[in-house]
Amino acid sequence: MTERPDIDALAGEYVLGTLDGAERTAVAARRGREPDLDAAIQAWERRLVPLSEASAPAMPPAGLFDKIEARVGATPVSNVVTMERSRNRWRAMALAATALAATLVLAVGGLEFTRPLSPVTPQSYVAVLQKDGASPAFLLSVDLASRTLSVRRVAAELPAGKSYELWIAAEPLGPGMHSLGLVNAAGVQNAIAKLDPAIVQKATFGVSLEPEGGSPTGQPTGPAFVAKLIPTGP
Amino acid sequence: MGVTTWQALLAPGLKSRATATQRPSLPHPGPTTPQALVLQLKQVAGQDRAAFAALYSATSAKLYGIVLRILRRRDLADEILQDVYVKIWERAGDFDPGRASPVTWMATIARNRALDEVRRKAPVSLEDMPAGFDPASDAPHPLDLMTASEDARRLRDCLNRLDGEKRDMVMLAYLEGSSREELSQRFSAPVATIKTWLHRSLAQLKDCLGS
Repeated sequence: MTERPDIDALAGEYVLGTLDGAERTAVAARRGREPDLDAAIQAWERRLVPLSEASAPAMPPAGLFDKIEARVGATPVSNVVTMERSRNRWRAMALAATALAATLVLAVGGLEFTRPLSPVTPQSYVAVLQKDGASPAFLLSVDLASRTLSVRRVAAELPAGKSYELWIAAEPLGPGMHSLGLVNAAGVQNAIAKLDPAIVQKATFGVSLEPEGGSPTGQPTGPAFVAKLIPTGP
Repeated sequence: MGVTTWQALLAPGLKSRATATQRPSLPHPGPTTPQALVLQLKQVAGQDRAAFAALYSATSAKLYGIVLRILRRRDLADEILQDVYVKIWERAGDFDPGRASPVTWMATIARNRALDEVRRKAPVSLEDMPAGFDPASDAPHPLDLMTASEDARRLRDCLNRLDGEKRDMVMLAYLEGSSREELSQRFSAPVATIKTWLHRSLAQLKDCLGS
């Protein structure tokens, strides 16, 4: 294979790390469509990697793996984050005149109704646990005053022999996700009855697809959707 | 300030600190063989959490050492190491043992993530280091590390054939994430000259390694 010297120098500098930010980004994009460049980069990675033996190992802080585990247990869906940032846009979406949106509005409306008149701390929250931008999957609503929740499967298929399991993650509860039971289980509405509302309010919720009856490991084992709560009050 | 010795380059401050510092005991990478890592990565690709935990304990000290040396800040390194392992979890299925060793593959993910971060920000300087941080505090002897494998010996021999300053540049870039600008200041040469030297050094290394 004939290698163009400029390609080889560029690949070498990319691996060495001396390209500036813009050049790095450009090379990272180019390698996806230029097999020569990609091959040259991989060859440089192999050549230089023994040098990394000269970096002294260092102990990462205790507890770091728990954070990693919590992140891989339930991969956040990017547009849920976007929606968190833009409550107004979420409302606008909820009001859209589709059958799906109507379901959301009904659920939110019901919550508004029971919300105690507290101007400071909202008591009612929702979280949209989504598979992707096109299809809302689960709508979680939480009422802190009565410490109850409801989780509604809006547009998610349940494959045969599988269950959806509801999870909560919050720092005071310890590392990882904690099961709140199966989504369709009787009594799931009381799953947060014993939890401190202040913790619930800031927690991350998730739903994962599990073998029938729930996760055998105590942690999500299947694809999961997560989100934080959004206040429905003003 | 010029860098003249391998020891000084590989572990800045090692000489002055070696007697004064008690090295903390590191999690020993232990008898983890490349074959074991290949197997673990395969299991991780199948979403095996126990294998992921085992892979983390076998490799995290090495990867943390790599990102910490480039980023120089523990808080940042903590964040980046999380990203690195999330990426390893997500991409384990892409790992191809026929194309790279597990260590090459993981170290590459770690270095790329750390370099992306450090190039995204203003250059870090020694003054940015939090008080009390000593990059060399837990350094085993660098030459011992570099002779750990046959590939490392070959690369070391080829690096030693470069002119002293050019060898130092390559190593500072690879290990510390030094940019062309930082190298330009350190070696009192224009950025364009640094670039030319880097290209020549890389070409020489490639010839020497007989790719």
